[in-house]
Amino acid sequence: MIDAKPDRKSRKFREIDQFDLNEKSQYYLLPFRFHRITDEKEIIVNEVGDYLTLSNGTFERIVKRQLDKEKDAELYGDLIANFFISEEPIPPLIDVLATRYRTKKLFLNYFTGLHIFVISLRCEHTCHYCQVSRVTQNRDLYDMSIANIDKGIEIMFKSPNPHVTMEFQGGEALLAFDNIKYAVEKAERIADEVGKGLTKVICTNLALINEEILEYCKEHEILISTSLDGPKYVHDKNRHKPHASSYELAIKGIELSRKILGHDRVSALMTTTKLSLAYPVEIIDEYFNLGFQGIFLRNISPYGFALRTDKSKYETEKFLTFYKKALDRILEYNFSGHYFTEDLAKIFLTKILTPFNVGFVDLQSPAGLINGVVVFNYDGGVYATDESRMLAEQKDYTFKLGTLDDSYNDLFFGKKAQEIAQLWANEALTGCSECAFQQYCGADPVHNHATQGDMYGFRPNSDFCQKNMEIIRYLIVLMESDNRIKKIFESWAKTATH
Amino acid sequence: MLLRTKGKPINIETHLVGKVTRNPDQLDENSFLLIDSSISELPSKNYMGVLSRQDEYEVKNGEYVVFKIPTLDHLTDGDIVSVGNDGNINTLYRVNSFHNTLLATERCNSNCLMCSQPPRDKNDIPIHYQIHKKLIPLIPKDCFELGISGGEPTLMGDLFFDLLSQIKTELPATEIHVLTNGRSFAWNQMAEKLGELDYRRLMLGIPLYADYYQVHDYIVQAENAFYQTILGLHNLARYNQRLEVRIVLHKQSIPRLTRLAKYIYKNLPFVEHVTFMGLEYIGYTPHNIQKLWIDPYDYHDELGEAVEFLAGQGMHVSIYNTPLCVLPERLWKFARKSISDWKNDYLPECSRCSKLNDCGGLFTWNLKKHSEHIRPFTA
Amino acid sequence: MPFQNEIKDNEIIVFADTSLFSKDSIFKCLYWYGDKFHTNVSFADSNTFRVSVKPISTNRLSQQEQENLLLKLERDLVDFNLRDIVTKETQNVRDLLIAKAFSNGEFDELPPGDVSDPVGFNVNQLKND
Ligand code: SF4
Ligand code: SF4
Repeated sequence: MIDAKPDRKSRKFREIDQFDLNEKSQYYLLPFRFHRITDEKEIIVNEVGDYLTLSNGTFERIVKRQLDKEKDAELYGDLIANFFISEEPIPPLIDVLATRYRTKKLFLNYFTGLHIFVISLRCEHTCHYCQVSRVTQNRDLYDMSIANIDKGIEIMFKSPNPHVTMEFQGGEALLAFDNIKYAVEKAERIADEVGKGLTKVICTNLALINEEILEYCKEHEILISTSLDGPKYVHDKNRHKPHASSYELAIKGIELSRKILGHDRVSALMTTTKLSLAYPVEIIDEYFNLGFQGIFLRNISPYGFALRTDKSKYETEKFLTFYKKALDRILEYNFSGHYFTEDLAKIFLTKILTPFNVGFVDLQSPAGLINGVVVFNYDGGVYATDESRMLAEQKDYTFKLGTLDDSYNDLFFGKKAQEIAQLWANEALTGCSECAFQQYCGADPVHNHATQGDMYGFRPNSDFCQKNMEIIRYLIVLMESDNRIKKIFESWAKTATH
Repeated sequence: MLLRTKGKPINIETHLVGKVTRNPDQLDENSFLLIDSSISELPSKNYMGVLSRQDEYEVKNGEYVVFKIPTLDHLTDGDIVSVGNDGNINTLYRVNSFHNTLLATERCNSNCLMCSQPPRDKNDIPIHYQIHKKLIPLIPKDCFELGISGGEPTLMGDLFFDLLSQIKTELPATEIHVLTNGRSFAWNQMAEKLGELDYRRLMLGIPLYADYYQVHDYIVQAENAFYQTILGLHNLARYNQRLEVRIVLHKQSIPRLTRLAKYIYKNLPFVEHVTFMGLEYIGYTPHNIQKLWIDPYDYHDELGEAVEFLAGQGMHVSIYNTPLCVLPERLWKFARKSISDWKNDYLPECSRCSKLNDCGGLFTWNLKKHSEHIRPFTA
Repeated sequence: MPFQNEIKDNEIIVFADTSLFSKDSIFKCLYWYGDKFHTNVSFADSNTFRVSVKPISTNRLSQQEQENLLLKLERDLVDFNLRDIVTKETQNVRDLLIAKAFSNGEFDELPPGDVSDPVGFNVNQLKND
């Protein structure tokens, strides 16, 4: 009864023990998950990704109701305040927790934002790990037709997302620059009409970049995304270009693009190959010296041509060693006062340290495919992710949602989409369902399919799981052991959201 | 600063509210003429009445009068006062101040250990409301900011919303800052009603003292207050209200302060401003000083970590009521000169201090109880 | 304790009291061994599970490896059992939480406690409600 007057009319001060709502010290567990992170420490993570690190054995004491409200007062307070236990069967702040849960899953509300247009499959490079491209002059066969561009744009603007991104990929996208111009101008007109936000990105190796193209990009506010694998001796080995240095071209292209478009309109993506693994420090230094504010240490995807090229195969273990060395180097730069991020860590840290989320395709649950990204292939095929179309190049059409001739509803809510949707959420996957890092990790059915032959996947030997579990563990151990690192990580997490 | 005075009333039956002026030409039907010494002739205009220091007064036109007032020095032309039938003259609005506040009520549903204005269990809501209703139309339209405090203003119930909507209509350009414990907004209908006002210049300042309910409830001396306040903040956010979280620093709030900062970022990321406030030595505080006192110098670490964490995550943070000399220099950029002019003072040694102009100083009443580490800067 | 955990013929065998360990937790635990081990669960008697793992690879484990593995399995069984307790005890709250998260506040709980002052205030008596 909230409208009854309190019996207590006196304004005499009372002691703190009189404000204990639960003198019997009985408590209820709330949903949370547990993991051992070192020999001495364990971690518990609640349903919205807040974590507490505890000394060994504490989790057991919590579950077995061995906490003493007085002797463990600080811990008890932490557990109540952070939604691990409750003094009521339904916690008084459950609606607050529910709001936070919704915030964490907010990317769901927006639906597909990223639309990849594979504008041409042709390329002038012959990168040894390249997954799809062709060296050819045959435009009719390997460029996206105007008719398909039109249909792709039409579908893109059917997305309920108020802001869509149109990304041109290849092959080498600039080989079809005229078509890009056509697509950009058409999409701009429609975006204006329907009042949606539109971001445009060209992914290019920059070999063909010139002032004229860049002036056009400037006028139309197009972002440039390029590839840079590290120093010359790494990059040129990875990215073979007949009779020229791909590295020199990329560096010249980056400089020119920055000059015309502005420093931060140009980003670079790095792919780790077997060769890269030997140069973690050199790769970081290269990015740092070129004036980038960060690097994304991606491991090479196991799809397409890559899977068949022995040269590019390497074990997750080696990648992790590489990753940690590189991260050490990055932290050194930060210790000496520079702001330089590792973007995979940044994604994880945003999930670990902030009440927000990041819609990163490979690392979200429900998975980012279809509800985060869709790919329109050069030939009119529509795929769930970039990786799916690479599988298709090997005649594996598992993730082909249909073609540009299909209706929006058939593509996004059709049988195929629903089939994949079943395995969207890691909350429901064996292994993941009780994993402490579930809130930080994601589900990647395409990856499971490509590496393990089924979308459901088998966590014990999944490289996706092994990699994420170890990186997340490592990040937490780092910041729990060194307050300077914690401050740095907090600053990374912040910029990922603001 | 003197805010009330008293004289002998004539003709006054209910509370009157009017502007004061010493200039007869400025008089209108809503103003009182101030008479410091004798005056040859009363103006013939229509005006509300006369407030006079004279020992004698002869009524001419049935005007309202208070005479034999000891001093009128604290009143400036344009100030607004209420005049009671008992001859009490309270200053309601000072035209030269940036810190004008309407006292909504002295009733409160909490009883904070360090309350600076201890509540009274008497229903004063109707009388305050009547006075404010008359006051608000008289406030200059260019008034920059107006506070509403208590007690707990939401105990006004419907009148709370009436008051706000009157202010919104009469003073569309004024920023409104309401101090409330936020508990009532745990009931969604309260938050919803406020949302319906669609008042973008309104900001609610809501105190929060711990991330753990028992500590907060103890400090505010009310069961379930923590849960209610958090739910209130969430409901208010649901209706896009602008919110400030206020934390008073003392021995009970310091131990969980850094946890509270994390809690705010994680659970209340929508708040626009987080303020950390030094303890005021007034109201209940002297009585509870054993439970509350910790020298501000001794909580540097906790305060620094809390402030820098929140600021680092992009939140707007301020430190109030804390002299510069007891703050580590890295926190100076968060310190604001927050103490209202009439409550503000400095220690004798401050006169030698080179930072005097940047420092917010102390509450007048804190001159009696201040940090042991007040040291003038000499450079 | 009639059954002793043991290492026999390259196989690690652990016994678990059925009144303390849930079947679910044992399977969830063994799941993580499935890439490198043959796993097996049976009843040693009506009150005891017999849990065993045996390397798929034909290479014999060293004595040390076997002992480490025994320790790991014992500890994992305990951990997964605790996890299982949390999962089961909290299933209802979790469902409620998710239902609430995807609602629009229409299922909100009433706030706890009272909000009146000693004079008397009724938050439910606003007009136009
Ligand atoms: S993939 Fe692995 S790390 Fe990620 S949630 Fe699943 S079990 Fe955890
Ligand atoms: S000595 Fe006085 S003026 Fe100087 S910083 Fe301290 S309180 Fe402020």
